[in-house]
Amino acid sequence: MNNKKLLLIVFILVALWQLYIPAKMIYDSEKTLFAGKEYKFKTAPIDPNDPFRGKYIALRYEDNLTQVQNDENWTRNETIYIILSTDKDGYARIHSVSKSKPEDNSDFVKAKVSYHSNDNKNVNIDYPFNRFYMEESKAPAAEKVYSESLADTTKVAYALIYIKDGEAVIKDVLIDGVSIKEMVKSQQKNRK
Amino acid sequence: MKGVNNKFATMSLSKDIQELVESDIISQDTADKIQMYYQSKKGPSQNRLFVVFGILGAILVGLGIFLILAHNWDNFSKFTKTILAFVPLITGQILCGFTLMKKRDNITWRESGTAFLFFAVGASISLISQIYNIPGDLSSFLLTWMLVCFPLSYLMKSSIASLLFITGITYYAVEASYWSHPTSDSYNYWILLLLTLPYYYLLYKKNPEANFMIIHNWLIPLSVIITLGILAQNAKELMYIAYISLFGFFYLIGNSTVFKEKKLINNGYRVLGSIGTISLLLALSFDWFWNKLRKQDFQFNEIIRSPELIAVVILSLLAFGLLYMQRRKKPFVDIDPIELIFILFIITFIIGLYSPLSIVLVNLLVFLIGLMTILKGAKLDHLGVLNFGLIIITALVVCRFFDTDLSFVTRGILFVSVGIGFFVTNFWMLKKRKANE
Repeated sequence: MNNKKLLLIVFILVALWQLYIPAKMIYDSEKTLFAGKEYKFKTAPIDPNDPFRGKYIALRYEDNLTQVQNDENWTRNETIYIILSTDKDGYARIHSVSKSKPEDNSDFVKAKVSYHSNDNKNVNIDYPFNRFYMEESKAPAAEKVYSESLADTTKVAYALIYIKDGEAVIKDVLIDGVSIKEMVKSQQKNRK
Repeated sequence: MKGVNNKFATMSLSKDIQELVESDIISQDTADKIQMYYQSKKGPSQNRLFVVFGILGAILVGLGIFLILAHNWDNFSKFTKTILAFVPLITGQILCGFTLMKKRDNITWRESGTAFLFFAVGASISLISQIYNIPGDLSSFLLTWMLVCFPLSYLMKSSIASLLFITGITYYAVEASYWSHPTSDSYNYWILLLLTLPYYYLLYKKNPEANFMIIHNWLIPLSVIITLGILAQNAKELMYIAYISLFGFFYLIGNSTVFKEKKLINNGYRVLGSIGTISLLLALSFDWFWNKLRKQDFQFNEIIRSPELIAVVILSLLAFGLLYMQRRKKPFVDIDPIELIFILFIITFIIGLYSPLSIVLVNLLVFLIGLMTILKGAKLDHLGVLNFGLIIITALVVCRFFDTDLSFVTRGILFVSVGIGFFVTNFWMLKKRKANE
C-alpha cells in the first residue's frame, strides 16, 4: 500500500511537471508580451514544415550583422546578448553585442552566433525568433505575400517582437503596417 | 482460434486431473498445483491482442490529435487554443492516474494509457509553441518532449513508453546532428539512452521471453548503430574502428548465454552484429578508404582528445571484456570467426596507416569469415548457415567485380568457381541428409 502511495505521489509530480512545461512556456511568453518593450525588426529576403508543429514562415532579419573587436573569439552557436536601439523610422537596430548579460537598463535579446569572419571583424547573428506559425491553409499564401513584399522595395516587411529580460516573443508579422494574417484573409476572400 | 483451443485444453486438462485424483495417482494438493501452474501460464497470453490493439488505438488517436492541432486553427482565440492544448494532456494524465490506482495489473490499461499520454504531452507542447511562436528547432522540441516523458516507462511499468522514448531520442540525435544545418552536438542522447537501460534490465528480469523484450532487443542496437556516427568530427577514419568494435560487441551480446538459444529473429544483437561487421568489411575491401588513410596526417594532440578515439576505446574495451568473459571457459577451437574480427581489424587499421597491405588483409578477413561459416554450416548440417557463408563470399566476389585492376579472366574465373561452390555444397549436404534418413 505504501509503495502504491509513493508511486502515485511520484506520478502526480511527473504529471505536474508535464503540465508545468507548457504552462511555463505560456507564462514566459505572456510576461514578455505584457510587460516587454515592442520592437519592429525589419525582415530580409522563404513554406517550411515541422512534422509535429505544422506550417510556419521562416523569418530572416535584415539587421543581423555587426562589427566586433577582433581580439575576442566568437564561436558558432555561442549565446550572445544583442543590445538594441531604434533607428529614426522606428525599426530595431543592433546597438552592440556582448558575451555577458548587460547589467544596465538597456533592452537586449538573447541570440546565437551564426558565424564570425576574422577578415572584416563581422559577427553574424541567429535570432531565436525565426518561426511564425500559420494555419495550414494560409501558410503557403502568406509565404507568397511575404516574399513578394520582400522583392517590392516600396514595401516594408517587419516582425513585431516583444522583448523582456533578454527573452523575445513574436506578436505578429506585418507588411506596411498590415498583419500578414489579415492580408492573406482578405486576399482569400477577394478570390472567392 | 488459439484462445478457443486453449479453453478446450484447460477443460479437458481439469477433467483429466480430476480423474487422476480420483484414481489416487496424484494427491489433491498436486492437482491444485498443476491447475494453478496452467492458470498462471495462461494469464498474459490471453489478453495479448487487447494489448496490441489498445496500444495501436492509443498511438493512432495520439498522433491524430497531433496532426489536428498542427493545423493551427486561426478561427479560435488564443485562449481557446490554449485550453485545447491542455485537454488531451489532462485526459491522458487522468487515464494514467486511474490506471495506477485501479488497474495497475492490467497491461492493456497501462500500455495504452501511457501511449496516449506520451503523445498528448508532445501535442500540448507543440500547440503552445505554435500559439506563441516559441523559438527552437525540431530537435530542441523533441528533447523537451522526451525529457518530460522519460519517467513514464518506470512509473507506469510501460514498455511502450520505453520504446517510444528510445525512438524519440534517436530522432532527436539524428535531427540535431545529421539533418539540420548547421549541425549541433547531441551528447544528451547517450545520457538519455543510459537512463533507459535499467528499465530494459527490469524487463529482462521479469520476462525475458516477452514480445516487448524482443522489440527492445532490436530497437536498442539499431538506435546505437544509427547514432554512433554523430561522433564523427575531424578524425572520421577512426569511426570505422568504433563501428567494427560496436558490431563485434553486439555480436558477442547476441552470443552470450542470455541470447544464444534465442531464435535468430528474436536476437537483434546477433543479426545486426554479423551483418554490420560483414557489410563494413566489404565496404572497406575497396582501396579508396586505405588510400585516403595513408595520406591522412593525424595530429597526435588532436586525436587524443577526439570523441572518435573515446568511442573507439570504450567500445573496443567493452567488446574485449565481453569476449574475455565468454571465452575464458571455452576451448579455442569453438571460436566464432566474427567474434574476433574487431581485434584483427584494429591491427589491420594500424598496418593500413603505413602500408597498402591492409586491403589484402581485409579481403582475406571477409574470405575467412565466409569460409569458416560454410564449414560451420557443414558441421552443424545447417543449410541456412552454409548458404550465409556462400553469400558472404559471393558479396566479396561482386565487390571485386567492380575493381578494374583485376583482369576480366580472373573475375570470370572467380564468379564461375563461386557459382559451382553453391551447387556442390548444397547438393552435397542434401545428399548427406538423404543418406542419413
